[in-house]
Amino acid sequence: MSSSAIPYGGQTPATTGANALGPTRTPAFEKRLAQRYRAERNFRLLGLSAVVFSVAMLVFLLGNMLINGIGGFQRAELTVTINFPESGVTGDAVSLTAPSASQTLEMQGLPDIVTFYAERDLGAAAAKQLSPDAWRDVATALAEDPALITRNKTFALPASSALASGLEGEGAPEMQALAAQLAKDGKLAKRWDWGFLARSDATSPQAVGIWGALKGSILTMLVTLALAFPIGVLSALYLEEYAPRNRWTDLIEVSINNLAAVPSIIFGLLGLAIFLTLFPNLRSAPLIGGMTLALMTMPVIVISGRNAIKAVPPSIRDGALAIGASPVQVVFHHVLPLALPGMLTGTIIGMARALGETAPLLLIGMRAFVATPPDGFTSPATVLPMQIFLWSDEIDRGFVERTSAAIIVLLVFLLAMNGLAIYLRNKFEKRW
Amino acid sequence: MTVIHPNMADETAKIRARDVCVYYGDKKALDDVSIDISPDYVTAFIGPSGCGKSTFLRCFNRMNDTIGAARVTGLIELEGEDIHSDKMDVVQLRARVGMVFQKPNPFPKSIYENIAYGPKIHGLAEKKADFDVIVERSLTRAGLWDEVKDRLDDSGTALSGGQQQRLCIARAIAVDPEVILMDEPASALDPIATAKIEELIDELSGGYAIVIVTHSMQQAARVSQRTAFFHLGKMVEYGPTSEIFTNPIEERTKDYITGRYG
Repeated sequence: MSSSAIPYGGQTPATTGANALGPTRTPAFEKRLAQRYRAERNFRLLGLSAVVFSVAMLVFLLGNMLINGIGGFQRAELTVTINFPESGVTGDAVSLTAPSASQTLEMQGLPDIVTFYAERDLGAAAAKQLSPDAWRDVATALAEDPALITRNKTFALPASSALASGLEGEGAPEMQALAAQLAKDGKLAKRWDWGFLARSDATSPQAVGIWGALKGSILTMLVTLALAFPIGVLSALYLEEYAPRNRWTDLIEVSINNLAAVPSIIFGLLGLAIFLTLFPNLRSAPLIGGMTLALMTMPVIVISGRNAIKAVPPSIRDGALAIGASPVQVVFHHVLPLALPGMLTGTIIGMARALGETAPLLLIGMRAFVATPPDGFTSPATVLPMQIFLWSDEIDRGFVERTSAAIIVLLVFLLAMNGLAIYLRNKFEKRW
Repeated sequence: MTVIHPNMADETAKIRARDVCVYYGDKKALDDVSIDISPDYVTAFIGPSGCGKSTFLRCFNRMNDTIGAARVTGLIELEGEDIHSDKMDVVQLRARVGMVFQKPNPFPKSIYENIAYGPKIHGLAEKKADFDVIVERSLTRAGLWDEVKDRLDDSGTALSGGQQQRLCIARAIAVDPEVILMDEPASALDPIATAKIEELIDELSGGYAIVIVTHSMQQAARVSQRTAFFHLGKMVEYGPTSEIFTNPIEERTKDYITGRYG
């Protein structure tokens, strides 16, 4: 210990006494100092461990999803070669690309033709395990390339879900044996299934796709954004810039803050009671879903918008007013551009919450089985989280991986949305 | 109460204030001030903090309107027109009476846009070439042109403090005001930047009626020809700057000038 410390500049410290030391140079003080550093170190460690814990949980979650989800983007497919000239199917570029091509081909017996070639290539037992809808894939291929009708073509057609389970080593033993045999012959394999991103809901996990729900989500989000953003921003501007400060505005402020905390299912009830009473034909439509979610998102935008407006320095406002800008010009030329990044952040938080929301949509009928992607804002649709919920409820083992894959699609969508918001925020952000 | 030196009444006064009181809520911040501001001189308001000098300055372009609790009574005329009358538009008033603030507050836009903003909203120019002329003229008069002519597209906030303040002065003169109000324009600046601002005030005087609020008595002595001393919400003494500083009539003025308080 340096209790024999050298006095400052050779002078005695100001304190009087025998071996006078300043109050900040005593051993007791040094002990307290060490304690202070220890407390800081402990606090830092605590914080760090909290961060490590959250990151570990996140990595575990994402890793788990990814490992399961990769399988969801693949499906078991059987290899079947079809000789179209020999099969007797006829058609030309016009008839094969017409909207009704699928029915025409069905009437020409395409399903039986597919089964016939499957039996020839794979044997009767395996042909039975071809997905009943396999012929539709062939019809789609013909529509995309009518010239196929004049030659041989090898297709990878979806197997039944029973055979798919067999390939995974699950389900009935005879299926497992059949799957193993076919796989050994190179006639059954798990292949990357891009169609998952293009198809909609179905009863068999081999035939499902996410596009219907994704499109539903996109349409719903568009409606939500189109309603919640302008209304939220205008409300925030009015409340901050124009509204007089009195009991009524206090009441409105409290109500908006409370609205942001209302459980989402209540908004669903509201949508059911009001929107579906007004527009009974639009059950399950993205328009109604978007309107309901907009109600939920708007308060978040208003609150963050008001905070962003409050953060605009008053000196900028004064400068603009002093040069003769009218209040409206001050708002639109100066306040809004500076507050926009903050407003966008709030919007994205609200939209992300809306994107993941299922409860309010349950009540307005968006949990329907929708086998075709919605045509527009008024046709029946479902959304990504609802699709995940529906699939997670299915008994068939094949849906487990599909559910994970759907979750990945939802997360990627969310990430894309956030990325866009960060890009916009950085683009508009200005320093002062 | 107020001592006004002889010959301060001015027939050609740019701004004439009579019995002006300002209340913040119940508190009276300014008590019965009457003054004539000449168009030919720089007028300085001096006094200790909280004496009401900035409050009084902000009456001239009705910036007190933006403070909800503030209430102004009395008469203020700009060239004989009551600035609180219905005929006087506040936007037009502020175009005629420009203001420079204590803290430089350029808009977070380019230097060019900072200057062009006023003329643009008032429709003083239409073609790009006209704006170019205004920007160059305003920056030249503010003594900033040579320093920024090569980087007009840079943000105004990227300039140094002193340059920012001169940019704000250039912004104010871009709309050709009749009066320029300056609220402690150099208090946030270093001595060199302050000297430049004072030089600039000197050059601008004559062209515009200038009213400057300042903490620094030396600054008031250097730049102004008329000085008004405020204390506790009242105008104590108003007269030629040389008289106020060398031969004040009121005891309180003398005490302040000699550094007894403030």
